[in-house]
Amino acid sequence: MTTLDSKVPSGPLETKWDRHRFSEKLVSPNNKRRIKIIVVGTGLAGASAASTLGQLGYEVECFCFQDSPRRAHSIAAQGGINAAKNYQDDGDSVARLFYDTIKGGDFRSREANVYRLAQVSTQIIDQCVALGVPFAREYGGQLANRSFGGVQVSRTFYCRGQTGQQLLLGAYSALCWQIERGQVTMRPRTEMLDLIVVDGHARGIVVRDLVSGHVTAHTAHAVVLATGGYSNVYYLSTNASGSNVTATYRAWKQGAAFANPSFTQIHPTAIPPSETHQAKLTLMSESLRNDGRLWVPKVPSGRRPPNDIPSSERDYFLERRYPQFGNLVPRDVASRAVKTLCDEGRGVGPGGHGVYLDFTDVIEQQGLDVVRERYGNLFDMYQRITGEDAYRVPMRIYPAPHYTMGGLWVDYNLMSTIPGLFVIGEANFADHGANRLGASSLMQGLADGYFILPYTIGHYLATTKITPIAEYHRESREALERVASRVTKLLGGQGRRTAASFHREVGRILWDHCGMARCEGGLKRTLQSIPALREEFWRDVAVPGSGETFNQELEYAGRVADFLEFAELICHDALHREESCGAHFREEHQTPDGEPKRDDTRFSHVAAWEYRENGPPILHKEPLTFEFVQPTARSYE
Amino acid sequence: MASGETAVSSCKNRGMMRLFNHFQTSLDSKVVVALTGLGLAGFVVFHMLGNLQVFEGAEALNSYAAFLRDMPILLWTTRLGLLSIVALHIGLAIQLTLHNRRARPVAYAVREYRKASLASRTMAVTGSVLLLFIVFHLLHLTAGVVDTSFPDRLDLQGHRDVYGKVVHAFRNPLFVALYLAGQFVLGLHLSHAVSSSLQTLGFEHAALNRLFKAAGPVIALLVVLGNMAIILAVFLGVVRT
Amino acid sequence: MKFTLKIWRQQGPDDKGRFVTYQAHEVSPDMSFLEMLDSVNQGLIVKGEEPVAFEHDCREGICGSCSLVINGVPHGPERGIATCQLYMRRFSDGATITIEPWRARAFPIIKDLVVDRRALDRVMQAGGYISVNTGGAVDGNVVLIGKDQAETAMDAASCIGCGACVAACKNASAMLFVAAKVSHLASLPQGKPERTRRVTAMMEAMDREGFGACGNQYECEAVCPKSISVRFIATLNREYLRAGVVESGAPTVPEAPHAESD
Ligand SMILES: Cc1cc2nc3c(=O)[nH]c(=O)nc-3n(C[C@H](O)[C@H](O)[C@H](O)COP(=O)(O)OP(=O)(O)OC[C@H]3O[C@@H](n4cnc5c(N)ncnc54)[C@H](O)[C@@H]3O)c2cc1C
Ligand code: HEM
Ligand code: FES
Repeated sequence: MTTLDSKVPSGPLETKWDRHRFSEKLVSPNNKRRIKIIVVGTGLAGASAASTLGQLGYEVECFCFQDSPRRAHSIAAQGGINAAKNYQDDGDSVARLFYDTIKGGDFRSREANVYRLAQVSTQIIDQCVALGVPFAREYGGQLANRSFGGVQVSRTFYCRGQTGQQLLLGAYSALCWQIERGQVTMRPRTEMLDLIVVDGHARGIVVRDLVSGHVTAHTAHAVVLATGGYSNVYYLSTNASGSNVTATYRAWKQGAAFANPSFTQIHPTAIPPSETHQAKLTLMSESLRNDGRLWVPKVPSGRRPPNDIPSSERDYFLERRYPQFGNLVPRDVASRAVKTLCDEGRGVGPGGHGVYLDFTDVIEQQGLDVVRERYGNLFDMYQRITGEDAYRVPMRIYPAPHYTMGGLWVDYNLMSTIPGLFVIGEANFADHGANRLGASSLMQGLADGYFILPYTIGHYLATTKITPIAEYHRESREALERVASRVTKLLGGQGRRTAASFHREVGRILWDHCGMARCEGGLKRTLQSIPALREEFWRDVAVPGSGETFNQELEYAGRVADFLEFAELICHDALHREESCGAHFREEHQTPDGEPKRDDTRFSHVAAWEYRENGPPILHKEPLTFEFVQPTARSYE
Repeated sequence: MASGETAVSSCKNRGMMRLFNHFQTSLDSKVVVALTGLGLAGFVVFHMLGNLQVFEGAEALNSYAAFLRDMPILLWTTRLGLLSIVALHIGLAIQLTLHNRRARPVAYAVREYRKASLASRTMAVTGSVLLLFIVFHLLHLTAGVVDTSFPDRLDLQGHRDVYGKVVHAFRNPLFVALYLAGQFVLGLHLSHAVSSSLQTLGFEHAALNRLFKAAGPVIALLVVLGNMAIILAVFLGVVRT
Repeated sequence: MKFTLKIWRQQGPDDKGRFVTYQAHEVSPDMSFLEMLDSVNQGLIVKGEEPVAFEHDCREGICGSCSLVINGVPHGPERGIATCQLYMRRFSDGATITIEPWRARAFPIIKDLVVDRRALDRVMQAGGYISVNTGGAVDGNVVLIGKDQAETAMDAASCIGCGACVAACKNASAMLFVAAKVSHLASLPQGKPERTRRVTAMMEAMDREGFGACGNQYECEAVCPKSISVRFIATLNREYLRAGVVESGAPTVPEAPHAESD
């Protein structure tokens, strides 16, 4: 039976983390050498954690499914990373970053966690600079900032449009150092397929070597999951093609609670899909909304070229509805506005899936060169994909699944409901509530990995008596068998349909019924149609080749199989939450003019779901209490 | 801390080795190839300039040759120096070429180059042909064993008649063809070599990069034109005995 | 659109490998090159044949996974992009397209078009980092770094580690890759303290892994998806020469690995 104890320290918000750190037990340096920790994932969260743990003296074994840790999906983040440095002296502070994040998350996150995140944010920048991350600088040599969706201060640090890349390369280089020192053993092209739990504690993982196909058990004193988000459950998303839910989902099945799975962020500024074979959606950085203006024709104008439509006939819908924030409203607000317009038939481009993002004004005011310098690579990317020149014709954008606020439930120490299983980065649910603000995921990943987990895991290790376990233990053997039989099952389908076709189908169902807007009827229908689809999958899926070799289709089919189960969990969560908050919009709960209606009396909680073998998942609630901020209507008008 | 001490000393030694003994990495070899190559390029330029005195007549050229020969110490140090430079250059270049061949055991079925010039891709070939040419050239004009129809003789001043020998040689279309081919190959080798050595030695500067890039082709062209002028002038009878 | 594809198929490292010809039908010009391969693969899978293995992840030109030699050029006919950013509208209808893996001794083939590029990671592990501990870093604005300097560092740092430079180089040299990393760190004050050791160690590692030496032919720059300039190779050479001079003089004490354990 799962119990949710958030372990948030009592006392004033500002000193919680300091006091907590002091009260934590430490592991003596001599013992660290004898303690082994498994880290799954080498994104910002995983790489920063593995390198820091290695540096502290633990023996670390680190896994990723890509051929190199440097290719983790964090590499693709473009826009930037937030930190409450207040270098611009524009009124920023830890308290303000905290408040913005809590409010941005629509009051569905834990105060203590978010405050700590804001506190730690400043250290992240310093650490990254020390590691050689080439942040943008002013002429005078100081760090440059830009402002990013949903806030009114300029606190985002960036490296051109490649911030995630540079931060990850920084963390990866730190990891390289620890690998060279022998502190970290790196196992790329290795996929975690199950979790080993011994006496209620997470003690290892089962992995498949993607090159040789060997399935092996790896045991340790603690396991850290940093396996990223699951937006790919929607098939088309801005995530990398390998991003998956497998690791966290498998851990869920072994007893870790999954929190708020339906909180999925749909990003407003992606390039609209153009054809059916499309495999992914490409994000255009949020920063484009700093200078671009969103509009659609007031009356649908068919194929009329946008430049021929005079401004009196344009509806700058975000500026009209949210005069204070204008085009900079948070993502969920912008996405929903776009979707509503397109559903009304006012969208532009193929299939009416799109709205204009127009740079004419800023080009006129500040010149082409300024725009080119700021966004050149994004404009180039847009041109390559669509064949259109956005300097002359407005871009077209459409929302795309992008980030998952939901994830494995963790307490203040980032430990899941399975002791010894820690979850960091996008894989956990912790800090973003029902909606994440731009540039705050990179911040969270690095905060968790560099500065939080390395402390909190020590306390667990110092206070838990750990007996050595071997790979031939019963629990390991069982886990190995689970994995082996699944591989066999996947290879045994009748081979009439490809895994991709199932993936596309489940993605479509979710997008339609559990995407930007959800309603009871649709969710209930989905809960019925998914099991049927899953049955068909196991009967008909085609996976050629064998399990004993490099077999990409086998990897993929395994991930799709998990998505097909996980999709149901998302819908259960969306169905239970009878309110609209953040990215979760229930059609039944809106004001007459279409604004979401939050219900703090019934739903001010984290929904943490427990796996049950036969039957629907069990809901546990972690109540959210707000001692330091007052939940207000999250209005951006 | 035994391991620490050896690390220190080996680190110090490594530097020493790199400089004097033994080449630690392929880049060390490359640097030496570049330095010796530049040395050879310098020699080729002076060689060409010296030989241009053909146009001033027999006296000038022969006394220039005699002037060089009259200083046996200088002559032999130059010769030995050149020889060792050539040996280093060739030895390391061959070593590098083999190292590079090993790095791609299976060739592409289809290959298209965007930027790598023909000259740059054929350095080993042009280099080897150059070696043959140089050996031939030495046997021919220095040792005089290739063509015995022009016996070594003295001119009126009592100098060795180099001028006469040159003129005799380039009357013969076979030699002219061989020497022109040699010039072509030398030109190719140099056109990539000089700029390439500058890059290898780390010359890079926003304002000067165009100069560095142009250096190779320009020097190659000058050397080839200069040498060809001599050959053709004799062949066409502009320069005669 | 229709295409004839000649694709390199190789079961594993020990297989000899060969070209197999496939037809791609109903290709839309808006498809990316990889989506075109996806659709060929979907056809193979339902026929019970093994799909063509190729590497991909982000599909937006930043992770460095995708790695195809298309008609003899790594990442294909367009400049400054990775394979995943190539669109079929770039090809003429009915064309024959030859697709090969990266070929280099340091990149053994795993299957079909997928190669093992861990050699690049090992070169990085040899010295491609600044060894600072987590925690205790000084404020990011304490050391000022001029905009130009930061831009230069960023130019070099934008390398995505795909290995196209190796694939394109006649000598299969990883020089541009090493140059990018060395130049990135050497152009920042934070990278200065370790520059001597770093450049030597990385160059030694490059040789050890079986990459060739640079021929200054600059094919690497011409195929680099981030158009990283070969002037960084000159910077690397300079750093290396400098290290040679420094090392032969005063001894620098490298950190002895695991000194605490003995
Ligand atoms: C296009 C795009 C742009 C973005 N831009 C920004 C931005 O500007 N600012 C911002 O703050 N955030 C941004 N985000 C969000 C942010 O990039 C991610 O949330 C964050 O990088 C996640 O980091 P992570 O370390 O948690 O996971 P990831 O970087 O996703 O890493 C996951 C790791 O887990 C491994 N892994 C996964 N499953 C398994 C398994 N089963 N077995 C073994 N290994 C496994 C992978 O190999 C990988 O190493 C963006 C996201 C996208 C998609
Ligand atoms: C007149 C004679 C020669 C001159 C002036 C000359 C000059 C040069 C120079 C300047 C370089 C550039 C080095 C660099 O790339 O950094 C070079 C490279 C080279 N030379 Fe020569 N060279 C001569 C003769 C030869 C001979 C006889 C060989 C015979 C094998 C040779 C083989 C090579 C090769 C293979 C390289 C390329 C090395 C590499 O890939 O880096 N050269 N030469
Ligand atoms: S797939 Fe990531 S760079 Fe091409």
